[in-house]
Amino acid sequence: MSKTKIEPMVNLNTNPCKMCMPLGSVTAFYGIKNCMSILHGSQGCSTYIRRHMATHYNEPVDIASSSLTEQGTVFGGETNLLKGLKNLIEIYHPEVIGVSTTCLAETIGEDLPRMIGKFYAENPEYKNIEIIPVKSPGYGGTQYEGYFSAIFGVISSVSMQTEANDCINVITAPLTPADTRFLKEAFEMFGLKIILLPDVSDNLDGGYKEEYDKLPSGGTSLKDIKKMAGAKATIELCGIEIKDSPGKYLENHYGVPYYRINMPVGLRDTDIFYDLLSKLSEIDVPEEITIQRGRYLDAMIDAHKYNGEGRAVIFGEPDYVASTVRLCVENGVMPLVVATGSVCNDLKGLLKDEIDEIAKKYFIDRYEILQDVDFKTIEALAKELHANLLIGSSDGRRMEESLGIPLVRRGFPIHDRVGGQRLRMLGYEGSLDYMEDIANALLSKKEADFRENIHQQYYKKELQEDKMKELIEDKTKNHPCFNGCASNTARMHLAVAPRCNIQCNYCVRKFDCPNESRPGVTSKILTPIEALEKYKMVKKEMSNLSVVGIAGPGDALANFEETKKTLELIREFDPDVTFCLSTNGLMLPQYANELIRLGVSHVTVTMNAVDINIGAKIYKYIDYNGVKFEGVSAAAILLANQLSGLRILVAAGIICKVNIVTLKGINDKHIPKVVETVKEIGCYITNIMPFIQVKGSVFENLEPVSNKEVNEIRNLCGETMKQMYHCRQCRADAIGTLDNDRSLEFSECKGNCGSKKIEEGNSYTFAVASKSGMLVDTHFGHVAELYIYEYKDGDVCYKEKREIQKYCTGEENCGDEADKIDNIIKAIGECDGVITMRIGEAPKQKLNKKNVKVFVTYDRIDTAVKAAAEQMGNGQED
Amino acid sequence: MDKILEERKQSIVLKNELGCSGSGINCDSDSVSGAISQRACVYCGARVVLNPITDAFHIVHGPIGCASYTWDIRGSLTSDDDVFRTSFSTDLREKDVIFGGEKKLEAAIEEIANKYHPKLIFVYATCIVGVIGDDVEAICKKMSDKYNMHVIAVKSPGFSGNKATGYRMACDAIMQVISQYKDQPKVNGINILGDFNLAGEMWIIKSYMEKIGINVLSTFTGDSNFESMKKASSATLNIVQCAGSSTYLANRMQEEMGIPFIKVSFFGVEDTTASLIKVAEALGDNEAREKAINFCKKESDKIEGFINQYKKNLTGKKAAIYVGGGFKAISLIRQFKALGIETAVVGTQTGKKDEYEVIESIVEKDTVILDDANPAELEKYMKEKNVDILVGGVKERPLAYKLGIAFCDHNHERKHPLAGFDGVVNFVTEINGSINHPVWKYTRGKGACHYE
Repeated sequence: MSKTKIEPMVNLNTNPCKMCMPLGSVTAFYGIKNCMSILHGSQGCSTYIRRHMATHYNEPVDIASSSLTEQGTVFGGETNLLKGLKNLIEIYHPEVIGVSTTCLAETIGEDLPRMIGKFYAENPEYKNIEIIPVKSPGYGGTQYEGYFSAIFGVISSVSMQTEANDCINVITAPLTPADTRFLKEAFEMFGLKIILLPDVSDNLDGGYKEEYDKLPSGGTSLKDIKKMAGAKATIELCGIEIKDSPGKYLENHYGVPYYRINMPVGLRDTDIFYDLLSKLSEIDVPEEITIQRGRYLDAMIDAHKYNGEGRAVIFGEPDYVASTVRLCVENGVMPLVVATGSVCNDLKGLLKDEIDEIAKKYFIDRYEILQDVDFKTIEALAKELHANLLIGSSDGRRMEESLGIPLVRRGFPIHDRVGGQRLRMLGYEGSLDYMEDIANALLSKKEADFRENIHQQYYKKELQEDKMKELIEDKTKNHPCFNGCASNTARMHLAVAPRCNIQCNYCVRKFDCPNESRPGVTSKILTPIEALEKYKMVKKEMSNLSVVGIAGPGDALANFEETKKTLELIREFDPDVTFCLSTNGLMLPQYANELIRLGVSHVTVTMNAVDINIGAKIYKYIDYNGVKFEGVSAAAILLANQLSGLRILVAAGIICKVNIVTLKGINDKHIPKVVETVKEIGCYITNIMPFIQVKGSVFENLEPVSNKEVNEIRNLCGETMKQMYHCRQCRADAIGTLDNDRSLEFSECKGNCGSKKIEEGNSYTFAVASKSGMLVDTHFGHVAELYIYEYKDGDVCYKEKREIQKYCTGEENCGDEADKIDNIIKAIGECDGVITMRIGEAPKQKLNKKNVKVFVTYDRIDTAVKAAAEQMGNGQED
Repeated sequence: MDKILEERKQSIVLKNELGCSGSGINCDSDSVSGAISQRACVYCGARVVLNPITDAFHIVHGPIGCASYTWDIRGSLTSDDDVFRTSFSTDLREKDVIFGGEKKLEAAIEEIANKYHPKLIFVYATCIVGVIGDDVEAICKKMSDKYNMHVIAVKSPGFSGNKATGYRMACDAIMQVISQYKDQPKVNGINILGDFNLAGEMWIIKSYMEKIGINVLSTFTGDSNFESMKKASSATLNIVQCAGSSTYLANRMQEEMGIPFIKVSFFGVEDTTASLIKVAEALGDNEAREKAINFCKKESDKIEGFINQYKKNLTGKKAAIYVGGGFKAISLIRQFKALGIETAVVGTQTGKKDEYEVIESIVEKDTVILDDANPAELEKYMKEKNVDILVGGVKERPLAYKLGIAFCDHNHERKHPLAGFDGVVNFVTEINGSINHPVWKYTRGKGACHYE
């Protein structure tokens, strides 16, 4: 089994790009001094959120739970919550408690304000503890909404002091503790006193102290929170307008002037931020900040060309994403996929113009801004749009892994690196860090890959061509019709091409074409789909089936649509299959390129003459694009097309074989000329075949050539180019196990080659079980390799060594003995006999069934082979 | 000193001279509200046990949180498919809570069935699913029939018990699958239960079995898949590594399939050796027994020098243990003992009474034993006992560090195996690396460096 490739789904969130509301709510409460959180719901919510936060902040995160039970769920969780509050106070002694609901509490309709009222009434000693209810069902939004929901909850439920003071309220989207510290310092530089809500700088990034204080003692005090109603302004550092804006609430209820600007990320937004501070404080921007600005700008210039190659996927919480996009754009990093897991309708409108501008410059016509999206969708788009960079939280690591592009880690959570709580992006310096992390990710990827990439792209090109050649050579080696001897691979012909477009005088059209089929047997014509099914069936039976040929019964190219469809279907099923095809060549120029595209590696063209006058005697007519030609003109068109078609194929590295039917008195003397011609074109091999008489054909009375005569011509032509002699190996048992489909098992060589074996008489191939390579010295079942020997006319000749391992069908099948035997038998292939020191009864029977004779001996190999061959001749065996 | 909640006092005991503390520890009960339990929930327990099944689709039916916090965070490895690393959730929203999530779930299963034709789908019903009235079981049944696959409802609302309840839910879900293939002829071989192939630990155990000539048929659930699960009923013996999560499964398999089981542990040299020999004995396989003895001898000899070397660095140190189950705690106490480290504080999230009895019998006098402890209690006793190292989960780690205490990650996220002989080497290396790290020269009252 292999790995299932998961695609984005319609009805499922697949790898969530968000967390739930209570996590955000708890995070906000972590920015309040002496505050503890309790989640009203199941124990697991609190534990999971603690775990998640602990890995990001590397801080102990203590969150209580009302630990709702079955009973609480049915009858209401009041008892649990009240007890929980009491226990929490006893252990931690907090001043403020945030009570956030969960999915469960909201679904069963828990009324927090009422319960809190009851708690105060029952426990007057705790009346000074501020208990703040927050509605945060997990299904109501993401951590982003939960965070703001808690801030709003704090501001709207704490009793405010309205006396005017000189503080400025600062409310931000979720920030790292390090960025929070930056903000505080920034305001301080302008002499502005702020009430920052929340302020997670200490509580979620505490230092080591001799005495550990489990109550979060940093953050904004309740005293300061109460003063927010009397502040001289509220600044919300949120690019995205929040539905229940705490700043607007303060403006509407207490008349506190309200400003909303983007988070100070990047040059532009940091400029605006400092400008606002300068205006509010009536103090010029300090020199130190101007220097920082210059340094950031300088760094932007230094890195601009590297960043210019960035094609980024940016994901996370809406504000974080918006700010990151703006930083990327000013640095020339093209945001290709901008995504948030939250529902945020404003995001697109906010960023579209910004991204359009850079997209136009780079001539990029597609990018996506997405909301409410999961990681599988983001990943698919990243791939489709060829992103080279990911920017977001550690949750992007699965995409990093599967896409192989770097992830610049920012946002929440960072749980596979240390220091997530100290990552910066605010101000000129934070922006500089962020920008350089991005540039360095691009650079490090480039540094790591450029040698290999360029090598692959240019140098390897040649190699790839070589590889192609190698591949085809390999296929040729294993192709029974091109190199029958060395091959143990099976092939099958698929009869999908019934029509023919030429009439040969030796052929009767009501039968199959004698070039490629045995005359007198009409094959069942298969549709391409049937052909595929047939292939699947045969493949199942014979794992060594690796060659598929289309050889009629008519002409493959006269039925091109069927041929094409068949090849496409089989290729889809079996990418490694070798395709061969036989044709008379008439349509070859038209379809040669198409054949190459289809991955046909071997083509056989039957070509009986290269002289049109001789051709005219052989072909009665041709049907070329619907027009019938006869005589010399027919032969001329056919020849021209055969030659030009072969040239196209050869140029593309296709292995071409030319079949020539020997017609006594017509072309027998002309054959060497044919061979020379095709040799010149670059064909690989010629197969000179005897003519077989077919009753009813024009040549029905033509005298056949003897095998001896054919061999003489082959020998003569062998000096010019490679000849096909030995078709014995192509005997029908290569597909012989399929008794029900004899017509498809027909091998092109059968008619003329079957007799050759008899004629040659004593020629056998043996598989020898040997460890030493010198002696027959091993048990059949123990062999790791077989030595193949050929015996011919008294000579013993070593042919090759076959490793059994290669015949394994899969690792797990190679383990046990029975499978091993099968693999050995597979490796034996077409051999006539096996010579071994010892053999079990079962494998012996299996071999006998396959008509492979078994000889048991302990002797030198050559002696043993000779002895075996002699016995074969005498019809003996062990 | 920090106060211990009244309701928690029964769950904390001190080992006394007699070795037994009256009526024993209060355990296996609901967590106390507001006490900040380190436990997770029913869903978590179910997810932990089932998640390592590599080719199953694990659908979390509910709002997104439960899926978000459990997505691909555990270190179970696969030798095959890795569907289990992908998070699938119906991501219920407000309107689903009002109108029900059944349609959404059905569509989700149909989409998976049509696209991937899986054999096995688990549907985890989280907190609100039952409350809003979704009949998950009916949908699972309908989809199983329609697509001829196993769609198993795992009813795991967080409030319906604790993590251990979730283990049982998971075991029931496994039984629901394997029971359908229980009429198989017996084969000589075992199933390994309660190992989740964290950092390849199942592979280590399997390799040992192979070495001593014992055939492993099926594993629960580390590196398992549907096909391997189907073979389970033909085993002649079950061995149970994580007893807390999987004893229930072993019991059911014994009752319903007639497969006896033994508990084993592959943590530490002693346990590993004893376990391997025991497995062979349980099978009545003398040859395997011989092989196990020889193999373990050879392996322990190999690392003996290493352990003795490190032992010098570790003897006399004090450890605190806070882990999920009792069996793991017991195993750790013994491992520490072998290194000359005394366990001064030991607790578990979901230990059973009998396990606590074993713990009491093997720890030294005055050792603090806690069930379902909270951070405040851990802090109090670790400080009181002045321990050098805490073994625990991810949540406990920052607490140890804040207290200036070394830490050993014995949790599901680790990326190095702790089982078997290799595991011993890793464990000892990790303990030494943390306990004897130079950073502790500057903590716990050592103060700042001065110019002199």
